[in-house]
Amino acid sequence: MDIGYMIEIFPKLISTLPISLLIILTSSILGLMLSIVITALRIKRIKFLSPILEAYISFMRSIPILLLLFLVYYGLPVFFSLLNLNMNDLSAIVSAMITLIIFNGAYLSEILRPAYLAVEKGQHEAADSLGYTSFTKIRKFIIPQMAPVALPGLGNAVIYLIHDTSLVFTIGIVDIMGKANLIMANSYGENKVEVFLTIAIIYWMVCLLSDRFIKLCENHTYLRKIENKRAFNSQSLKLHQKFTKRNIKSNLD
Amino acid sequence: MLAIRDLHLSFNGNEILKGIDLTVNKGDVVTLIGPSGTGKTTLLRCINCLENPSKGEITLSDLQLNYETISKKDILKLRRKTAMVFQQFNLFKNKTVLENVMEAQIIVQGKKKEEAYKKSIEELEKVGLLDKLESYPSELSGGQQQRVSIARALALEPELILFDEPTSSLDPELVGEVLRVIENVARSGVTIVLVTHEMSFAQSISTKIVFMDKGVIVEEGSPQFIFEDSNNERTKAFLNHFKSNQTVGV
Repeated sequence: MDIGYMIEIFPKLISTLPISLLIILTSSILGLMLSIVITALRIKRIKFLSPILEAYISFMRSIPILLLLFLVYYGLPVFFSLLNLNMNDLSAIVSAMITLIIFNGAYLSEILRPAYLAVEKGQHEAADSLGYTSFTKIRKFIIPQMAPVALPGLGNAVIYLIHDTSLVFTIGIVDIMGKANLIMANSYGENKVEVFLTIAIIYWMVCLLSDRFIKLCENHTYLRKIENKRAFNSQSLKLHQKFTKRNIKSNLD
Repeated sequence: MLAIRDLHLSFNGNEILKGIDLTVNKGDVVTLIGPSGTGKTTLLRCINCLENPSKGEITLSDLQLNYETISKKDILKLRRKTAMVFQQFNLFKNKTVLENVMEAQIIVQGKKKEEAYKKSIEELEKVGLLDKLESYPSELSGGQQQRVSIARALALEPELILFDEPTSSLDPELVGEVLRVIENVARSGVTIVLVTHEMSFAQSISTKIVFMDKGVIVEEGSPQFIFEDSNNERTKAFLNHFKSNQTVGV
Protein backbone atom coordinates (compact mmCIF):
# COMPACT_ATOMS: atom_id res chain seq x y z
CA MET A 1 0.00 0.00 0.00
CA ASP A 2 1.37 3.34 -1.08
CA ILE A 3 -0.38 6.06 0.88
CA GLY A 4 1.84 8.74 -0.63
CA TYR A 5 0.56 7.74 -4.06
CA MET A 6 -3.04 7.91 -2.87
CA ILE A 7 -2.47 11.45 -1.60
CA GLU A 8 -0.83 12.30 -4.91
CA ILE A 9 -3.74 11.15 -7.08
CA PHE A 10 -6.46 12.46 -4.75
CA PRO A 11 -6.54 15.99 -6.25
CA LYS A 12 -6.64 14.56 -9.78
CA LEU A 13 -9.63 12.41 -8.92
CA ILE A 14 -11.42 15.09 -6.93
CA SER A 15 -11.06 17.48 -9.89
CA THR A 16 -13.64 15.36 -11.75
CA LEU A 17 -16.07 15.45 -8.84
CA PRO A 18 -18.01 18.43 -10.27
CA ILE A 19 -19.06 16.28 -13.24
CA SER A 20 -20.32 13.52 -10.96
CA LEU A 21 -22.06 16.09 -8.75
CA LEU A 22 -23.65 17.75 -11.78
CA ILE A 23 -25.08 14.43 -12.90
CA ILE A 24 -26.21 13.50 -9.38
CA LEU A 25 -27.89 16.86 -8.66
CA THR A 26 -29.56 17.26 -12.04
CA SER A 27 -30.89 13.72 -12.16
CA SER A 28 -32.07 13.70 -8.56
CA ILE A 29 -33.91 17.02 -8.85
CA LEU A 30 -35.43 16.40 -12.28
CA GLY A 31 -36.01 12.74 -11.43
CA LEU A 32 -37.94 13.78 -8.32
CA MET A 33 -40.00 16.25 -10.34
CA LEU A 34 -40.79 13.58 -12.93
CA SER A 35 -41.71 11.11 -10.20
CA ILE A 36 -44.10 13.65 -8.63
CA VAL A 37 -45.89 14.01 -11.97
CA ILE A 38 -45.99 10.23 -12.42
CA THR A 39 -47.25 9.67 -8.87
CA ALA A 40 -49.96 12.29 -9.33
CA LEU A 41 -51.07 10.67 -12.59
CA ARG A 42 -51.06 7.20 -11.02
CA ILE A 43 -53.15 8.38 -8.08
CA LYS A 44 -55.70 10.01 -10.39
CA ARG A 45 -56.12 6.64 -12.17
CA ILE A 46 -56.62 7.99 -15.66
CA LYS A 47 -58.10 5.26 -17.82
CA PHE A 48 -55.72 5.09 -20.78
CA LEU A 49 -52.65 6.40 -19.04
CA SER A 50 -52.56 4.04 -16.07
CA PRO A 51 -51.58 0.84 -17.93
CA ILE A 52 -48.90 2.75 -19.84
CA LEU A 53 -47.46 4.14 -16.62
CA GLU A 54 -47.51 0.73 -14.95
CA ALA A 55 -45.66 -0.76 -17.93
CA TYR A 56 -43.11 2.07 -17.85
CA ILE A 57 -42.46 1.57 -14.13
CA SER A 58 -42.24 -2.18 -14.45
CA PHE A 59 -39.78 -1.83 -17.37
CA MET A 60 -37.60 0.68 -15.54
CA ARG A 61 -37.42 -1.41 -12.41
CA SER A 62 -36.63 -4.58 -14.33
CA ILE A 63 -33.74 -3.71 -16.59
CA PRO A 64 -30.22 -3.12 -15.26
CA ILE A 65 -29.25 0.53 -15.18
CA LEU A 66 -26.16 -0.19 -17.29
CA LEU A 67 -28.33 -1.59 -20.05
CA LEU A 68 -30.66 1.40 -19.82
CA LEU A 69 -27.66 3.70 -20.14
CA PHE A 70 -26.59 1.97 -23.37
CA LEU A 71 -30.14 1.98 -24.70
CA VAL A 72 -30.41 5.73 -24.20
CA TYR A 73 -26.91 6.56 -25.42
CA TYR A 74 -27.05 4.45 -28.59
CA GLY A 75 -30.80 4.23 -29.00
CA LEU A 76 -31.95 7.84 -28.69
CA PRO A 77 -30.09 9.12 -31.78
CA VAL A 78 -31.54 6.21 -33.77
CA PHE A 79 -35.00 6.95 -32.41
CA PHE A 80 -34.71 10.65 -33.29
CA SER A 81 -33.40 9.92 -36.79
CA LEU A 82 -36.55 7.89 -37.37
CA LEU A 83 -38.41 11.11 -36.62
CA ASN A 84 -36.12 12.93 -39.05
CA LEU A 85 -34.43 14.81 -36.24
CA ASN A 86 -30.69 15.03 -36.11
CA MET A 87 -29.63 14.17 -32.59
CA ASN A 88 -26.23 12.72 -33.29
CA ASP A 89 -24.70 15.40 -31.12
CA LEU A 90 -26.48 14.17 -28.04
CA SER A 91 -23.61 14.32 -25.60
CA ALA A 92 -22.70 11.50 -23.27
CA ILE A 93 -23.44 13.61 -20.20
CA VAL A 94 -26.94 14.45 -21.42
CA SER A 95 -27.55 10.76 -22.17
CA ALA A 96 -26.42 9.84 -18.69
CA MET A 97 -28.73 12.44 -17.18
CA ILE A 98 -31.70 11.32 -19.28
CA THR A 99 -31.06 7.71 -18.23
CA LEU A 100 -30.96 8.54 -14.54
CA ILE A 101 -33.95 10.89 -14.75
CA ILE A 102 -36.27 8.41 -16.44
CA PHE A 103 -35.03 5.64 -14.13
CA ASN A 104 -35.56 7.69 -10.98
CA GLY A 105 -38.86 9.06 -12.22
CA ALA A 106 -40.17 5.51 -12.04
CA TYR A 107 -38.22 4.38 -8.99
CA LEU A 108 -39.06 7.38 -6.79
CA SER A 109 -42.75 7.19 -7.63
CA GLU A 110 -42.68 3.74 -5.99
CA ILE A 111 -41.59 5.58 -2.83
CA LEU A 112 -43.92 8.57 -3.13
CA ARG A 113 -47.08 6.63 -3.89
CA PRO A 114 -47.15 4.57 -0.69
CA ALA A 115 -46.24 7.73 1.25
CA TYR A 116 -49.25 9.48 -0.27
CA LEU A 117 -51.51 6.53 0.49
CA ALA A 118 -50.24 6.51 4.09
CA VAL A 119 -51.89 9.90 4.70
CA GLU A 120 -55.34 9.18 6.10
CA LYS A 121 -58.38 9.93 4.00
CA GLY A 122 -59.75 11.95 6.91
CA GLN A 123 -56.98 14.54 6.46
CA HIS A 124 -58.16 15.16 2.90
CA GLU A 125 -61.78 15.31 3.98
CA ALA A 126 -61.06 17.74 6.81
CA ALA A 127 -59.25 20.13 4.46
CA ASP A 128 -61.96 19.74 1.80
CA SER A 129 -64.74 20.37 4.29
CA LEU A 130 -63.06 23.57 5.47
CA GLY A 131 -62.97 24.87 1.90
CA TYR A 132 -59.25 24.57 1.08
CA THR A 133 -58.38 24.35 -2.61
CA SER A 134 -56.69 21.07 -3.52
CA PHE A 135 -53.37 22.78 -4.20
CA THR A 136 -53.28 24.42 -0.76
CA LYS A 137 -54.45 21.21 0.87
CA ILE A 138 -51.57 19.26 -0.66
CA ARG A 139 -49.00 21.92 0.16
CA LYS A 140 -50.13 22.53 3.75
CA PHE A 141 -51.14 19.09 4.96
CA ILE A 142 -50.48 16.24 2.55
CA ILE A 143 -46.83 16.84 1.63
CA PRO A 144 -45.80 17.61 5.23
CA GLN A 145 -47.40 14.33 6.31
CA MET A 146 -45.87 12.38 3.42
CA ALA A 147 -42.39 13.66 4.24
CA PRO A 148 -41.57 11.53 7.31
CA VAL A 149 -42.77 8.43 5.46
CA ALA A 150 -40.95 9.13 2.20
CA LEU A 151 -37.67 10.66 3.37
CA PRO A 152 -35.85 7.46 4.45
CA GLY A 153 -36.70 5.87 1.09
CA LEU A 154 -35.68 9.00 -0.81
CA GLY A 155 -32.40 9.04 1.12
CA ASN A 156 -31.66 5.49 0.02
CA ALA A 157 -32.60 6.36 -3.54
CA VAL A 158 -30.07 9.21 -3.58
CA ILE A 159 -27.36 6.82 -2.40
CA TYR A 160 -28.26 4.36 -5.16
CA LEU A 161 -28.17 7.24 -7.63
CA ILE A 162 -24.68 8.15 -6.46
CA HIS A 163 -23.63 4.54 -6.96
CA ASP A 164 -25.25 4.44 -10.39
CA THR A 165 -23.22 7.41 -11.60
CA SER A 166 -20.14 5.21 -11.30
CA LEU A 167 -21.34 3.50 -14.49
CA VAL A 168 -21.37 6.54 -16.75
CA PHE A 169 -17.65 6.13 -17.57
CA THR A 170 -18.76 3.25 -19.82
CA ILE A 171 -20.11 5.77 -22.35
CA GLY A 172 -16.94 7.81 -22.17
CA ILE A 173 -17.67 10.37 -19.46
CA VAL A 174 -14.60 11.23 -17.41
CA ASP A 175 -16.13 11.28 -13.97
CA ILE A 176 -14.33 9.96 -10.88
CA MET A 177 -14.50 6.40 -12.13
CA GLY A 178 -13.45 7.43 -15.63
CA LYS A 179 -10.52 9.39 -14.24
CA ALA A 180 -9.52 6.41 -12.13
CA ASN A 181 -9.41 4.24 -15.23
CA LEU A 182 -7.24 6.82 -17.03
CA ILE A 183 -4.85 7.02 -14.10
CA MET A 184 -4.55 3.24 -13.99
CA ALA A 185 -3.94 3.06 -17.73
CA ASN A 186 -1.19 5.70 -17.48
CA SER A 187 0.57 3.81 -14.73
CA TYR A 188 0.45 0.53 -16.69
CA GLY A 189 -1.98 -1.11 -14.28
CA GLU A 190 0.20 -0.49 -11.25
CA ASN A 191 -1.27 0.63 -7.92
CA LYS A 192 -4.82 -0.43 -8.82
CA VAL A 193 -5.80 -1.01 -5.19
CA GLU A 194 -4.66 2.47 -4.19
CA VAL A 195 -6.73 4.06 -6.95
CA PHE A 196 -9.86 2.07 -6.12
CA LEU A 197 -9.45 2.74 -2.42
CA THR A 198 -9.11 6.47 -3.05
CA ILE A 199 -12.31 6.67 -5.10
CA ALA A 200 -14.07 4.50 -2.52
CA ILE A 201 -13.22 7.16 0.05
CA ILE A 202 -14.51 9.90 -2.27
CA TYR A 203 -17.83 8.05 -2.79
CA TRP A 204 -18.08 7.57 0.94
CA MET A 205 -17.69 11.31 1.52
CA VAL A 206 -20.32 12.14 -1.07
CA CYS A 207 -22.75 9.67 0.51
CA LEU A 208 -22.08 11.07 3.97
CA LEU A 209 -22.94 14.52 2.66
CA SER A 210 -26.20 13.33 1.09
CA ASP A 211 -27.04 11.52 4.34
CA ARG A 212 -26.50 14.77 6.21
CA PHE A 213 -28.82 16.57 3.86
CA ILE A 214 -31.58 13.97 4.25
CA LYS A 215 -31.19 14.03 8.06
CA LEU A 216 -31.51 17.81 7.92
CA CYS A 217 -34.76 17.45 5.99
CA GLU A 218 -35.99 14.82 8.44
CA ASN A 219 -35.34 17.19 11.32
CA HIS A 220 -37.86 19.57 9.80
CA THR A 221 -40.74 17.09 9.64
CA TYR A 222 -43.60 17.48 12.06
CA LEU A 223 -43.01 14.07 13.65
CA ARG A 224 -39.49 15.11 14.61
CA LYS A 225 -40.83 18.37 16.05
CA ILE A 226 -43.18 16.41 18.31
CA GLU A 227 -40.35 14.08 19.35
CA ASN A 228 -38.04 16.99 20.09
CA LYS A 229 -40.72 18.66 22.13
CA ARG A 230 -41.16 15.53 24.25
CA ALA A 231 -37.42 15.14 24.67
CA PHE A 232 -37.14 18.79 25.66
CA ASN A 233 -39.96 18.48 28.17
CA SER A 234 -38.49 15.41 29.83
CA GLN A 235 -35.06 17.04 29.82
CA SER A 236 -36.25 20.24 31.41
CA LEU A 237 -38.14 18.10 33.91
CA LYS A 238 -34.91 16.28 34.81
CA LEU A 239 -33.06 19.58 35.11
CA HIS A 240 -35.82 20.94 37.28
CA GLN A 241 -35.65 17.92 39.57
CA LYS A 242 -31.88 18.11 39.68
CA PHE A 243 -31.88 21.76 40.68
CA THR A 244 -34.67 21.45 43.18
CA LYS A 245 -32.76 18.58 44.83
CA ARG A 246 -29.66 20.76 44.93
CA ASN A 247 -31.60 23.58 46.49
CA ILE A 248 -32.89 21.27 49.16
CA LYS A 249 -29.37 20.02 49.80
CA SER A 250 -27.87 23.49 50.02
CA ASN A 251 -30.63 24.50 52.36
CA LEU A 252 -29.81 21.53 54.55
CA ASP A 253 -26.13 22.41 54.49
CA MET B 1 -82.08 28.08 5.02
CA LEU B 2 -81.01 24.60 3.88
CA ALA B 3 -83.27 22.68 1.54
CA ILE B 4 -82.50 19.39 -0.14
CA ARG B 5 -84.81 18.10 -2.86
CA ASP B 6 -85.06 14.58 -4.25
CA LEU B 7 -81.51 13.51 -3.36
CA HIS B 8 -80.34 10.20 -4.82
CA LEU B 9 -76.97 8.52 -4.33
CA SER B 10 -75.65 5.14 -5.44
CA PHE B 11 -72.48 3.19 -4.68
CA ASN B 12 -71.58 0.52 -7.24
CA GLY B 13 -75.20 0.11 -8.27
CA ASN B 14 -76.49 0.03 -4.68
CA GLU B 15 -78.87 2.87 -4.04
CA ILE B 16 -77.93 4.33 -0.64
CA LEU B 17 -80.17 7.39 -0.66
CA LYS B 18 -83.49 7.01 -2.42
CA GLY B 19 -84.94 10.47 -2.80
CA ILE B 20 -84.37 12.55 0.30
CA ASP B 21 -86.19 15.82 1.00
CA LEU B 22 -84.94 17.79 3.97
CA THR B 23 -85.51 21.33 5.17
CA VAL B 24 -83.55 23.06 7.90
CA ASN B 25 -84.44 26.52 9.17
CA LYS B 26 -82.04 29.05 10.59
CA GLY B 27 -81.20 28.24 14.20
CA ASP B 28 -82.55 24.72 13.95
CA VAL B 29 -80.85 21.75 15.56
CA VAL B 30 -81.82 18.86 13.32
CA THR B 31 -80.79 15.37 14.40
CA LEU B 32 -80.71 12.41 12.03
CA ILE B 33 -81.35 9.09 13.76
CA GLY B 34 -81.89 5.58 12.49
CA PRO B 35 -80.27 2.14 12.20
CA SER B 36 -76.65 1.75 11.05
CA GLY B 37 -76.11 1.67 7.30
CA THR B 38 -79.19 3.76 6.64
CA GLY B 39 -77.37 6.64 4.97
CA LYS B 40 -77.48 9.25 7.74
CA THR B 41 -73.78 10.00 7.51
CA THR B 42 -73.91 9.83 3.72
CA LEU B 43 -76.71 12.39 3.67
CA LEU B 44 -74.68 14.68 5.93
CA ARG B 45 -71.65 14.30 3.66
CA CYS B 46 -73.74 15.21 0.62
CA ILE B 47 -74.43 18.62 2.16
CA ASN B 48 -70.76 19.63 1.78
CA CYS B 49 -70.09 17.47 -1.27
CA LEU B 50 -67.78 14.95 0.33
CA GLU B 51 -70.01 12.52 -1.55
CA ASN B 52 -71.16 12.76 -5.14
CA PRO B 53 -74.94 12.37 -5.33
CA SER B 54 -76.25 11.13 -8.66
CA LYS B 55 -79.28 13.39 -8.58
CA GLY B 56 -80.85 16.12 -6.50
CA GLU B 57 -80.86 19.80 -5.64
CA ILE B 58 -79.53 21.72 -2.68
CA THR B 59 -80.27 25.24 -1.54
CA LEU B 60 -78.12 26.82 1.14
CA SER B 61 -79.06 30.43 1.88
CA ASP B 62 -78.31 32.23 -1.42
CA LEU B 63 -76.70 29.23 -3.15
CA GLN B 64 -78.92 27.10 -5.33
CA LEU B 65 -77.25 24.09 -6.89
CA ASN B 66 -78.07 20.96 -8.82
CA TYR B 67 -75.81 18.00 -7.98
CA GLU B 68 -75.72 16.83 -11.58
CA THR B 69 -74.26 20.09 -12.87
CA ILE B 70 -72.29 21.25 -9.84
CA SER B 71 -68.90 22.80 -10.60
CA LYS B 72 -65.70 22.81 -8.55
CA LYS B 73 -66.23 26.49 -7.79
CA ASP B 74 -69.73 25.83 -6.48
CA ILE B 75 -68.47 22.98 -4.32
CA LEU B 76 -65.90 25.32 -2.81
CA LYS B 77 -68.59 27.96 -2.15
CA LEU B 78 -70.83 25.36 -0.53
CA ARG B 79 -68.01 24.09 1.67
CA ARG B 80 -67.09 27.59 2.76
CA LYS B 81 -70.59 28.16 4.11
CA THR B 82 -70.48 24.97 6.18
CA ALA B 83 -68.12 23.26 8.60
CA MET B 84 -67.95 19.64 9.61
CA VAL B 85 -67.04 17.82 12.80
CA PHE B 86 -65.98 14.26 12.03
CA GLN B 87 -66.37 11.00 13.91
CA GLN B 88 -62.59 10.50 13.72
CA PHE B 89 -61.86 14.18 14.62
CA ASN B 90 -59.52 14.57 11.61
CA LEU B 91 -57.41 17.31 13.11
CA PHE B 92 -54.40 18.12 10.94
CA LYS B 93 -51.66 15.98 12.41
CA ASN B 94 -48.82 18.23 11.34
CA LYS B 95 -50.32 21.31 12.99
CA THR B 96 -50.63 22.37 16.61
CA VAL B 97 -54.00 22.95 18.24
CA LEU B 98 -53.74 26.70 17.66
CA GLU B 99 -52.66 26.26 14.03
CA ASN B 100 -55.53 23.84 13.44
CA VAL B 101 -58.03 26.45 14.56
CA MET B 102 -56.27 29.47 13.06
CA GLU B 103 -55.15 28.42 9.60
CA ALA B 104 -58.40 28.04 7.72
CA GLN B 105 -59.44 31.51 8.89
CA ILE B 106 -56.31 32.99 7.36
CA ILE B 107 -55.98 30.87 4.24
CA VAL B 108 -59.59 30.17 3.35
CA GLN B 109 -61.28 33.29 4.68
CA GLY B 110 -58.39 35.71 4.23
CA LYS B 111 -58.57 37.08 7.77
CA LYS B 112 -55.63 38.94 9.26
CA LYS B 113 -53.37 36.89 11.54
CA GLU B 114 -54.15 38.92 14.61
CA GLU B 115 -57.88 38.67 14.07
CA ALA B 116 -57.67 34.91 13.45
CA TYR B 117 -55.59 34.50 16.59
CA LYS B 118 -58.12 36.37 18.73
CA LYS B 119 -61.00 34.32 17.31
CA SER B 120 -59.09 31.06 17.87
CA ILE B 121 -58.34 31.90 21.48
CA GLU B 122 -61.97 32.81 22.01
CA GLU B 123 -63.22 29.50 20.58
CA LEU B 124 -60.59 27.41 22.35
CA GLU B 125 -61.52 29.05 25.61
CA LYS B 126 -65.14 28.05 25.07
CA VAL B 127 -64.12 24.40 24.70
CA GLY B 128 -61.74 24.66 27.65
CA LEU B 129 -58.45 23.97 25.90
CA LEU B 130 -56.46 27.17 26.35
CA ASP B 131 -53.69 25.18 28.05
CA LYS B 132 -53.14 23.00 24.96
CA LEU B 133 -52.42 25.67 22.33
CA GLU B 134 -48.99 24.31 21.44
CA SER B 135 -49.91 20.62 21.63
CA TYR B 136 -50.11 18.42 18.57
CA PRO B 137 -53.25 16.28 18.06
CA SER B 138 -51.32 13.10 18.84
CA GLU B 139 -50.66 14.47 22.33
CA LEU B 140 -54.35 14.91 23.14
CA SER B 141 -57.10 12.53 24.27
CA GLY B 142 -59.94 11.76 21.91
CA GLY B 143 -62.30 14.05 23.79
CA GLN B 144 -59.82 16.93 23.67
CA GLN B 145 -59.25 16.37 19.95
CA GLN B 146 -62.96 16.47 19.27
CA ARG B 147 -63.30 19.70 21.28
CA VAL B 148 -60.52 21.27 19.21
CA SER B 149 -62.25 20.13 16.05
CA ILE B 150 -65.46 21.81 17.22
CA ALA B 151 -63.49 25.00 17.92
CA ARG B 152 -61.96 24.75 14.43
CA ALA B 153 -65.44 24.54 12.91
CA LEU B 154 -66.87 27.38 15.03
CA ALA B 155 -63.94 29.70 14.35
CA LEU B 156 -65.02 29.89 10.72
CA GLU B 157 -68.45 31.16 11.78
CA PRO B 158 -70.19 28.90 9.26
CA GLU B 159 -73.88 29.24 8.47
CA LEU B 160 -74.31 25.54 9.18
CA ILE B 161 -72.32 23.04 11.24
CA LEU B 162 -72.47 19.35 10.41
CA PHE B 163 -71.74 16.91 13.22
CA ASP B 164 -71.05 13.38 12.03
CA GLU B 165 -71.38 11.01 15.00
CA PRO B 166 -69.10 13.24 17.06
CA THR B 167 -68.98 10.92 20.09
CA SER B 168 -69.03 7.51 18.43
CA SER B 169 -65.29 6.86 18.55
CA LEU B 170 -64.76 8.24 22.05
CA ASP B 171 -64.18 6.30 25.24
CA PRO B 172 -67.40 6.32 27.29
CA GLU B 173 -65.96 8.55 30.00
CA LEU B 174 -65.02 11.20 27.41
CA VAL B 175 -68.44 11.41 25.74
CA GLY B 176 -69.84 13.79 28.36
CA GLU B 177 -67.28 16.58 27.87
CA VAL B 178 -67.94 16.64 24.11
CA LEU B 179 -71.73 16.54 24.47
CA ARG B 180 -71.58 19.50 26.86
CA VAL B 181 -69.64 21.49 24.27
CA ILE B 182 -72.12 20.62 21.51
CA GLU B 183 -74.98 21.57 23.81
CA ASN B 184 -73.43 25.02 24.29
CA VAL B 185 -73.03 25.38 20.53
CA ALA B 186 -76.69 24.49 20.03
CA ARG B 187 -77.77 27.00 22.67
CA SER B 188 -75.76 29.77 21.01
CA GLY B 189 -78.16 29.68 18.06
CA VAL B 190 -75.89 28.15 15.40
CA THR B 191 -77.73 26.03 12.85
CA ILE B 192 -76.79 22.37 13.29
CA VAL B 193 -77.36 19.11 11.50
CA LEU B 194 -76.28 16.24 13.70
CA VAL B 195 -75.99 12.48 13.30
CA THR B 196 -75.82 10.64 16.62
CA HIS B 197 -76.69 7.48 18.46
CA GLU B 198 -76.99 9.33 21.78
CA MET B 199 -80.78 9.23 21.91
CA SER B 200 -81.40 11.10 25.14
CA PHE B 201 -78.98 13.81 24.02
CA ALA B 202 -80.76 14.07 20.68
CA GLN B 203 -84.09 14.35 22.46
CA SER B 204 -82.90 17.13 24.75
CA ILE B 205 -81.10 19.44 22.30
CA SER B 206 -82.92 18.99 18.99
CA THR B 207 -85.61 21.21 17.56
CA LYS B 208 -86.37 18.53 14.98
CA ILE B 209 -85.69 14.78 14.76
CA VAL B 210 -85.46 13.02 11.41
CA PHE B 211 -85.83 9.24 11.50
CA MET B 212 -84.22 7.48 8.52
CA ASP B 213 -84.32 3.85 7.50
CA LYS B 214 -82.98 2.10 4.38
CA GLY B 215 -82.19 5.26 2.47
CA VAL B 216 -85.43 7.16 3.02
CA ILE B 217 -86.79 9.53 5.62
CA VAL B 218 -89.47 7.59 7.42
CA GLU B 219 -90.77 10.47 9.49
CA GLU B 220 -89.73 13.72 11.05
CA GLY B 221 -91.02 15.96 13.77
CA SER B 222 -90.38 17.46 17.17
CA PRO B 223 -88.48 15.31 19.69
CA GLN B 224 -91.73 14.99 21.66
CA PHE B 225 -93.54 13.65 18.58
CA ILE B 226 -90.84 11.15 17.49
CA PHE B 227 -89.88 9.84 20.91
CA GLU B 228 -93.32 9.81 22.57
CA ASP B 229 -96.19 10.11 20.15
CA SER B 230 -95.10 8.37 16.97
CA ASN B 231 -97.42 5.69 15.62
CA ASN B 232 -95.02 4.53 12.93
CA GLU B 233 -94.05 0.87 13.39
CA ARG B 234 -90.46 1.29 12.18
CA THR B 235 -89.80 4.30 14.40
CA LYS B 236 -91.25 2.53 17.40
CA ALA B 237 -89.26 -0.65 16.73
CA PHE B 238 -86.02 1.33 16.42
CA LEU B 239 -86.57 3.35 19.57
CA ASN B 240 -87.72 0.31 21.56
CA HIS B 241 -84.56 -1.45 20.54
CA PHE B 242 -82.63 1.47 22.00
CA LYS B 243 -84.63 1.49 25.21
CA SER B 244 -84.15 -2.24 25.76
CA ASN B 245 -80.43 -1.89 24.97
CA GLN B 246 -80.11 0.93 27.44
CA THR B 247 -81.77 -1.01 30.23
CA VAL B 248 -79.38 -3.90 29.64
CA GLY B 249 -76.66 -1.31 29.91
CA VAL B 250 -75.05 -1.77 26.49
